[in-house]
Amino acid sequence: MTTQNAAGAAKPDLSARQIRRMKRFDNPWRNPKLTWGAALILGIVAMGILGRIFWNMDLVFTGSAPLKLPPLGFENLRGQPGQTDFPLGTDGAGRDLLALIVIGAPNSLFVGLLASIIGMSIGIFLGFSAGFLGGRTDDTIRILSDVMITIPPLLILVVFQAAFGDVSLTLMAILIAAFMWQSPTRLIRAQVLSMRESGYVQMARLSGASTMHIMFREMMPNLVPYLFGSFIANVTTSIVTAVGLEVLGLGPQRIPTLGRIIYEAINSGALIQNLWWWWGLPTILLAVMFIGLLLINLGLDEVSNPRLRKL
Amino acid sequence: MTLTRRTLLASTMLLTAMGPAFAQDVAREDTVIFDLDRTIKDPENFNWFTAGTKREHGAHQAMWEPLFILNYTTGELDPWLATAITPNDDFSEWTMTLREGVEWSDGEAFNADDVVFTVNMVKGNEELSAREAAVVRTQVASVEKIDDLTVKFTLSEPNPRFPTENFGVRIFGSFLPMPEHVWSEVDNPATFAFYPPIGTGPYTYASGATNRMIWDRNDDWWGAKTGFRDLPEPQRLIWLETGGEESRAQLMATNQLDAAQNVSIGTFEAIRFQNPNVIGWFADYPYAWPDPCARQLEINTTVAPWDSAEMRQAVAAIINRNQIVNVAAEGATTASRTMFTEYGAMQPYIDAVIEAGHGVPAQPDVEAAKALIEGQGYTMGSDGFYEKDGEELSVDIHVNSASTEYTRTIDVIVEQLTRAGIKAKAVPVENGVFWGEVLPFGSYEMSYSWLACGSVNEPWTSMSRYTTASVVPVGERSPGFNNTARWDGPEAEAYTAIVDRMGDMAGDDPALPGMVAEAYGHLAEGVPFIPLVQSAKLLPMNTTYWTGWPTAENAYNHPAFWWGHTHQIIHNLEKAE
Amino acid sequence: MGRIPSSYLGNRIVTLFLTIFIAATLIWIIPRLSPVDPAEIALGRMAAGAGTVGNSEDILAQLRAQLGIDQPWFVQYAKYLWGIVQFDFGLSTANFPTPVSALIANALPWTLGLMLISITITFFIGNLLGALMVWDHSPKLVKVAIPAAMVLTSIPPILSALLLMWIFSAKLRLFPLTGAYGLTVEPGWTWDFVQSVLYHGFLPALSIVVVTFGFWALGMRGLMIGVQGEDYTTLAKAKGLRPRYILYKYMIRNAILPQITAFALKIGMLIAGQVLVERIFAYNGMGKLLYDAILDQDFPVIQGVSFVIILMTAFSVFLVDLIYPLIDPRIRHGR
Repeated sequence: MTTQNAAGAAKPDLSARQIRRMKRFDNPWRNPKLTWGAALILGIVAMGILGRIFWNMDLVFTGSAPLKLPPLGFENLRGQPGQTDFPLGTDGAGRDLLALIVIGAPNSLFVGLLASIIGMSIGIFLGFSAGFLGGRTDDTIRILSDVMITIPPLLILVVFQAAFGDVSLTLMAILIAAFMWQSPTRLIRAQVLSMRESGYVQMARLSGASTMHIMFREMMPNLVPYLFGSFIANVTTSIVTAVGLEVLGLGPQRIPTLGRIIYEAINSGALIQNLWWWWGLPTILLAVMFIGLLLINLGLDEVSNPRLRKL
Repeated sequence: MTLTRRTLLASTMLLTAMGPAFAQDVAREDTVIFDLDRTIKDPENFNWFTAGTKREHGAHQAMWEPLFILNYTTGELDPWLATAITPNDDFSEWTMTLREGVEWSDGEAFNADDVVFTVNMVKGNEELSAREAAVVRTQVASVEKIDDLTVKFTLSEPNPRFPTENFGVRIFGSFLPMPEHVWSEVDNPATFAFYPPIGTGPYTYASGATNRMIWDRNDDWWGAKTGFRDLPEPQRLIWLETGGEESRAQLMATNQLDAAQNVSIGTFEAIRFQNPNVIGWFADYPYAWPDPCARQLEINTTVAPWDSAEMRQAVAAIINRNQIVNVAAEGATTASRTMFTEYGAMQPYIDAVIEAGHGVPAQPDVEAAKALIEGQGYTMGSDGFYEKDGEELSVDIHVNSASTEYTRTIDVIVEQLTRAGIKAKAVPVENGVFWGEVLPFGSYEMSYSWLACGSVNEPWTSMSRYTTASVVPVGERSPGFNNTARWDGPEAEAYTAIVDRMGDMAGDDPALPGMVAEAYGHLAEGVPFIPLVQSAKLLPMNTTYWTGWPTAENAYNHPAFWWGHTHQIIHNLEKAE
Repeated sequence: MGRIPSSYLGNRIVTLFLTIFIAATLIWIIPRLSPVDPAEIALGRMAAGAGTVGNSEDILAQLRAQLGIDQPWFVQYAKYLWGIVQFDFGLSTANFPTPVSALIANALPWTLGLMLISITITFFIGNLLGALMVWDHSPKLVKVAIPAAMVLTSIPPILSALLLMWIFSAKLRLFPLTGAYGLTVEPGWTWDFVQSVLYHGFLPALSIVVVTFGFWALGMRGLMIGVQGEDYTTLAKAKGLRPRYILYKYMIRNAILPQITAFALKIGMLIAGQVLVERIFAYNGMGKLLYDAILDQDFPVIQGVSFVIILMTAFSVFLVDLIYPLIDPRIRHGR
C-alpha cells in the first residue's frame, strides 16, 4: 500500500519526490521489496483466514465433491466443465482444491515459521553463549554446529519418518528445527565476538552492566537485521525440507499441505490425465511463498546495507 | 540465458541424431515388453528360494516352468511339466506323473530326480525362505522317486488341496523344480546365485540389469519338438522397470510397453485417449480384473458394543456398496456378493450361498439397521447420533494409509455410518503399523482389510480363516492373520464344525456347495467381517503389436503377468496384423 | 599441505570424525526409538502381500536373528559401529541375503555420475548468472532472471522431472522415458553404451539443473554485492581495467569462495532431493535405492545409503576446508 501511494504521488514535482526519497532513506524499513514480500506472505495468511470464514471447509473431505472437475472456464478429459461450486476444480479424491489450498498453504507456511522460530531461538541462545562465554563452551558449541551443518536434514528425517510413520505438523516442524539452528548460531557467535570488543559494549561493561543486560539490551538491537535475514532464509529452507519430505509421501498423512497435495497428484497420474490444476495450483502457491520470502530477504539486505538500494 | 538455451538445443539435436543403440537386433514387433514395478536389486542372482526380485522379472514366466497351471476360469489344474497327480484314499500320499521329453535348456533331461532333489534340498535348508519353499517344507514328510517320470509325496498330514497349494501357481508363484545337475554341486543353496540360470522354458536368459531383464526364444525348446505346444511367436521378451504410474502411462501411450502394471481408472482412460489400442480385462466398466483379495470391513467381536451380533448386522445393513464402487473406485470395480472373489471357478459356491439367501444384499436397508440398533436399547439423540446411558454410539475404523483406495473407501463408509446415526471416525495408520501392530493383535474396533483372501478355485481356504481354532485374546497375535475378528461363540462353533469337515474333502466333492451355503448361514449371522467390493487390478494391455491377451471374453486364464502362469499368456500371443 | 597449520588440520580432522560418528549414531538410534517392532512389521508385510502367513512365530524368531535385534542394545551398537568402519551395513531384508554394501556399490556410480554432473552444471550456470545480476555491464535481461530463478527454485524436483518427461519424452519424443541406458544396450566401456548413458541421463540431469541453479544464482548475487563494495574493486575500476577483467579477476574470484563451501555442504542435501527424480526415470542410483528401501522398510539399506551420503558430504566439506587456505588469496597472504 505504501508503494502505491509513493508511485501515485511521484509525478507532480521533483522536490516532493526528492523529499520522499529522503524520507525513504530516513526510514529504511519502508522499502518496496520488503513491502511487496510481506504483502505476498500476508496474502497467504489472509487467504487462510478469509477462506475459513467464507468458504465451506467441509470440502477438504474425501468424496465431498465430484471427482477431477476442472477450474471454472475449463474442461477436463471427460468433457465436464468447471462448476461455480468448486471454482478451482477438484482433485481425484473428490476434494475441492480451493478448500485444500486454503488449509494447505498456511499449513506449509506454519511448518516453515515454527521450525525457523525454534531453530532461531536455539541459535540465538547458543550463539550468544558461545560468543560471550568463550572457552570450553565456545569450543563445544562451535564443533557441534560444524558437525550438524554437515548432516543433511532430509536424510535423517527420512530415517525418522520411515520408522515412525505418521507425524503431526508440529512434530515435523520440531524435527526440521533440529537442523535449523546451526547457521544462526555461527552468525551470532561471529557478530558477538566482533562486537564484544567494540566501544559501546566495553562501555557498558565498564559501567558494571550485567552479562544479560549487555547481551540483550546492548547487542541484540544491532543484530536484529542479521537475525531477521537469517530467520527468513531459514523459513525458506524449512519449507523446502518439509515439501521434500511431503512429496516423498513422508509428511503428515492426512493433513493437507502443499507438498502432500503435489504428492497425491503425482501418485494418481495427474499429468497424463491433464489435471494440471491439481499439481499446478499448489506449485504456484509455493512459488508465491518463496518469492515473498525472497523479496523480504532482499529488502532486509537493503535495510542493513544502504549501498544496495540503488539496485 | 541465451547461451544456455543454445547449448541445450545443440546437445539435444546431437543426441537425437545419434539415437539409442541396440546390441542385437530384434524388431520391436517381435518383442513383447512387460512392465516391472520393482528394481532388480541383484540382477545376477536367480536363487528364487530367497527374498528379492528374482522371479517376476521373466524367470518364472518364461524360463522356469511350473508343474501345473491353475485355471482361474475352470478351477482345473492345466498340466504342464507334470501330466497328472493322484491322491490315495485319505489324501496323505500323492503320486505325480511327469511329462516325457522335457529338457533343460542345456540339453539335460528333466525327470523325477530333479523334483526329488529340489524337495529334499528345501526340506534340509531352513534358510530357503520363499513362501513356496516353506510350505513344501511343512507339508511334505518325504518324497520318493518311483521311476524316471513318477514321484510319490508322503505328507505330514492329509491334504486334499496339496497339488493346488504347491504346484499350480495358485497365487503368484509355484514350487519350481531346479536342475539337479547344477544345484547338487552347491555347498550352500541359500547363497548360491545360480548364474547364468537355466530352465525348461521356451526362453533363455539373454541379458540382465537392475532395470530390465531380456529373454530370447530358444528355438530348440523341448515343447515344440515333442508337440506339447508350438514355439511362442515373440522372439524376445523384456521385463522393464518403469518409474511409477505416470511413466508407465506414457510408455503405454507411446507403444513402448505391451503390458502394464495396475493404474488408476483415470490414467487408464487418459492412455486410451492417446492410444485406442490399449485394452483392459473388461471391454467397458469396470475394465479391471478382480485380484484374489476382495475387500472387507473387519469387526473386532470382543469390543463393546460390537460384541453384539445384532450391532454388527446393523452395520452390514447400512453399508452401500454401490456408492463405494462409484465414489471410491470411480466405477473400476464391482460390489461383492459374498466373501468370495468373482472367478469362474468360484461360481458354484457363490451361487449356492446366494440361493440360500446368505449373500450380502445389493441395496442397504438403513431402516432395518435402525430397528436393530434400537433393539439394543439405543435412542436417537438430538444431534443425530444414537446414545445409550448417556454414551454416544461411536466407532473408530482403522485404515492403512498407504493407498488412497483404502482411505477413500473408509471415508465413504464413515460418511454412511455417520448419516445412519453412528459416530464413525477413520483412523489412518502407517502400512507397517497397520499390518504389524493393529490387525494381528486385535487393537481396533473395525478395520479395512482383505483377510478372507485365499480361495480362488475352492471355498475352504478362505472359510478356514475364520474358525474358532484361530481365536486368541486381544493383545496376542492371531496365528497366520486368521480370524483377527476373534469371532467365537455358538454360531462360530457351528460354522467351524462344518468348515473343518470341508477341509478333509476333495476340492471337487459335489457335497461342497451345499456345505458352503450352510456354513455361510452362520457367518452371515455372526458377521465377523462385512464383504465390501472386489479388489480392482486395472492392467492395461497393448494390442498394437500383440493380440491374444487374456480378457473376460477370452478368459483362458487371468492377466496378472507377474505370476508364474504367464507361460499361457505368452503362448497365446499373436502378432497383430 | 605444508602451508596448512597443523592445529587447523587437527581441528578439521576431529570435526570430520565427530560428524561421521554422530551421524552414524543418529541413524542407528532413530529407528530404535520407534515403538514398532521391525520384525513384526516385516511379518506384517509378508501378510499384506500373501494375505496369510503360516508358522509366524518361527518366522518372527528368524527375522529377529536376521535383524540382530535379539541381542542387548550395546552389543548391537558396537557391532553396528564396527561394521560401518568396514562398510558393512548388514544384509538387506527386502533382498535377503544380498549385502547392503553390494546394493550401494551397484547404485553409487549412477548417482555420482548423474548428480555430480548436474550439480556441477548448476553450480556454474547459477554462479555465472548470479554474478551477472550484479555486474553493471550485464544486459537488462539478466536482471529479469531473478524472479525466474526463484520461481524455478520453488518447483519440487519431482515435478520438474515429470514436466520435462511429459514435454520432451512423451510429446516431442526426443528423449527416452525410463532407464539409465538403452533397453538392449549392454553395459561396458563401449561407445554405444557411453552414448546411451549420456542420452538417457540428459533429462534427469536437466530436471535437477532447472530447479537448483536459482539457489546458486541468488547466493552468488548476495556475495557479489558484498564484493562490489570492497576497496579492491573500486581501485580496479579507478585503474581503468576492462570491466570483464574486473568481473572475473576481482569480483567472481572473491565472491565464489563461500559458494564452494556451500557446494560441498549441498552434496548430501541434493542427493537426498534427487530421490524422486531417479524414481520417475527408473534410474537405479542411490536415490531409487533409498526410495525402494523406504517402501520396503528395509532399514539396513536406509541406514547404509544415508551413511554413505553423509560420509560423502563430510569428506567434501573436509576437503574444501583443507584447500580453502590455498585458494583464498586473503587467507594465503595473511599467513
